[in-house]
Amino acid sequence: MKKSVAILGFSIVVIAVMLFIGSNIARKHQAEARRIGALLPGQVIGRQAPDFTLTTVDGKTLKLSDLRGKAVVLNFWATWCSPCRVEIPWFVDFQKQYGAQGLQIVGISEDEGGKDKVAQFVKEMGLNYDVAVDDASVYMKYGDVEDLPTTFYIDRDGKIVQFAMGLLDRSEIEHNMKVALAQ
Amino acid sequence: MKMAAWVTLGIALLLPCAGWAQADFAAKQPSVKILNVESLPLQKGKAASVKLTFRVAPGFHVNSNHPNSEMLIPTVLKLDPPTDLSLGNIQYPDGQQLSFPFAPDEKLSVYTGDFAVSATARTVGSIRVGTYRVHGELKYQACDDHACYPPKSVPVAFDVNVANPPKAPKHNPAQSPNVHN
Repeated sequence: MKKSVAILGFSIVVIAVMLFIGSNIARKHQAEARRIGALLPGQVIGRQAPDFTLTTVDGKTLKLSDLRGKAVVLNFWATWCSPCRVEIPWFVDFQKQYGAQGLQIVGISEDEGGKDKVAQFVKEMGLNYDVAVDDASVYMKYGDVEDLPTTFYIDRDGKIVQFAMGLLDRSEIEHNMKVALAQ
Repeated sequence: MKMAAWVTLGIALLLPCAGWAQADFAAKQPSVKILNVESLPLQKGKAASVKLTFRVAPGFHVNSNHPNSEMLIPTVLKLDPPTDLSLGNIQYPDGQQLSFPFAPDEKLSVYTGDFAVSATARTVGSIRVGTYRVHGELKYQACDDHACYPPKSVPVAFDVNVANPPKAPKHNPAQSPNVHN
């Protein structure tokens, strides 16, 4: 009897400590996310896309809010990411096909070590849309993007209408783009 | 209801809550871990090989040491031995040539499941007998069937037990053919 009470008491203490540590860390993460205006898990669709300013690999200033009025496909990728390299030619096609309707694809590279390697990749693959190397702030604003590719579909008013982590089928990507264009 | 049953019920109800509180952080655990490494016995003036075994989590793969494209980030072991120990000749296994759903026509050279990397340890100079801790890290870049993850590293540490070489057996003096009683 006494042994059972001791086990129960010990278990409750261990679980309480786990709950306390877990919720405390989560609270800190959420506070930091709010401080930098970042997206939170489960609160992405319908939210205003966090604004950012980066320099593209060809030296232009890229400010997301300047693209208001266009549907934006914001694609996080890296040169070392094989699934990313599968969808990039699709994005090139979509930019050609839907650009006149107001579609703008934006690539955010998560490569480390400068933009030269990315610029060379962009040239070799014939990318026809804006690409910038992340300065380690944009992926944080979009919810600590770890899975590559991750793509956000943003409507003409700057609201996120869909997002996808990992590679989707070409038809799914096209569907999401059309949703963003139609809003 | 007996107390033991209450204990079980209490734990069963609370444990999922505690697990949920940790879940956000567990999801970002590295997808490669090192399995237990045994201490390496090493005689002064000799060389010995250490084998480090790593386990890639199910559903993930990492690039081999020689990926099929120079764009891809290879798996590399870096060791930082203490003074008077050298560690070199790092040997990686050949990668498995596999295709994945994101590019079914392309073969990638990868490690999945368990893979072992070996290195050769040698003593240098007048090292003292004793146990020496070697630190290092395995750098890798993992993917699953749909996405890739930023490069990470897993820490590596093992002991090298340096001992004197066994003493050479003493030669017996020439035996007298005469029996002395």
